[in-house]
Amino acid sequence: MPTKEEVFEKIQAALVDALGVDEEDVTPEATLVGDLGAESIDFLDIVFRLEKAFNIKIPRGELFPEDILTDAKYVQDGKVTEEGLSELRKRMPFANLDDFAKNPVVQDFGNLLTVADMCRFVESKVEVTD
Amino acid sequence: MMRFEGKTAIVTGGSRGIGRACVARLAAEGARVAFIYQSNQQAAEALIQELKCAEGQLRAFQADVRDLQRAHEIVDGLFEEWGQIDVLVNSAGIVKDGLMGAMTQDQWRDVIETNLGGTFNYCHAVTQPMMMARRGSIVNLSSTAAEFAARGQANYAASKGGINGLTRSLAKELAPRNVRVNAIAPGMIETDMSQVVRGIAGDQIKKMIPLKRIGQAEEIAAATAFLASDDASYLTGQVLRVDGGLSLGGY
Ligand SMILES: NC(=O)c1ccc[n+]([C@@H]2O[C@H](COP(=O)([O-])OP(=O)(O)OC[C@H]3O[C@@H](n4cnc5c(N)ncnc54)[C@H](OP(=O)(O)O)[C@@H]3O)[C@@H](O)[C@H]2O)c1
Repeated sequence: MPTKEEVFEKIQAALVDALGVDEEDVTPEATLVGDLGAESIDFLDIVFRLEKAFNIKIPRGELFPEDILTDAKYVQDGKVTEEGLSELRKRMPFANLDDFAKNPVVQDFGNLLTVADMCRFVESKVEVTD
Repeated sequence: MMRFEGKTAIVTGGSRGIGRACVARLAAEGARVAFIYQSNQQAAEALIQELKCAEGQLRAFQADVRDLQRAHEIVDGLFEEWGQIDVLVNSAGIVKDGLMGAMTQDQWRDVIETNLGGTFNYCHAVTQPMMMARRGSIVNLSSTAAEFAARGQANYAASKGGINGLTRSLAKELAPRNVRVNAIAPGMIETDMSQVVRGIAGDQIKKMIPLKRIGQAEEIAAATAFLASDDASYLTGQVLRVDGGLSLGGY
């Protein structure tokens, strides 16, 4: 069973490999898109690496719900609808969507996910000790 | 030339025709090759015999390319064994011509699911290993039929047009990961697939081809090997016509 520290370290390594960023830049507060420069294809790369590092299966779209954000049912005038927000909350219980919900511009979505969110995501998939 | 020394390749539809010539070419240039065939075990075994590869250099898998799960099983197994997948050639394909008014839904589905669906399935399966390795080259067998019309080929032309679109989109997607995706559009090539058409209209077709002859599978394999190799390292998202000039038009 990994500790929280180990989870962070493995995620840090995955992000360094996938994004080619420096280890120092991968802090818990860093946002994946804004600070670390991740693009949508990088999320797939990150998912592959997390699956390998933690020996888990991650359903596609769970970490980065692109399907919701590109679905006309959930997006209107470039913003995620109420219905879309509730889908996102269901899909991503590990992320704090409150700030995003105030002005849910699709373009800004990528900017909300932080390294700490990602740690919580992995912790929900593997058992961790303190 | 030994451009594939130390490299690995998967070829779908490798038991016959163009796929078979690709297997032979890649193996001759040093690649470890696994090929997929549907049912013609005799042809698959004959190829293995004929190529006389070193132990373990050549593998055959019987599988239907329409089966995505099987594609993943095969690719994952090879990845584990080889540690890398450098090249994928999607050559499995069929024709089931019919005029629209007479075309059955099965004719439509079989062709779309084999040609386009099969290409999707194997691209899907190699994406992860190639992305993570930051290298790879995919070559999809399209056809000049995607852009030049023939009666009774709505299903086939649509499947090949689909392959061209898939090729360009995936090329853009995987380019940041140093994975190249291209297609080859052969004209009329001497294989089992074109046998009937050649039998009926061979001489007439030859007259339409500026080079005045039907192409050989080896000539497609040579172009495929080029696109698959590092010689084409700055080439991605292209559909290369290898057709003796058939598609040039004019007079
Ligand atoms: N020949 C031409 O003039 C020409 C022109 C333009 C484009 N092309 C394209 O080039 C590619 C190769 O054509 P070809 O002339 O080499 O055809 P071919 O001689 O008929 O060989 C077809 C190959 O595909 C395999 N295959 C068919 N359906 C399959 C399935 N569902 N699952 C797995 N394997 C399957 C066959 O396996 P089995 O041996 O087990 O049946 C065989 O190895 C095709 O995509 C074709 O559309 C050909």
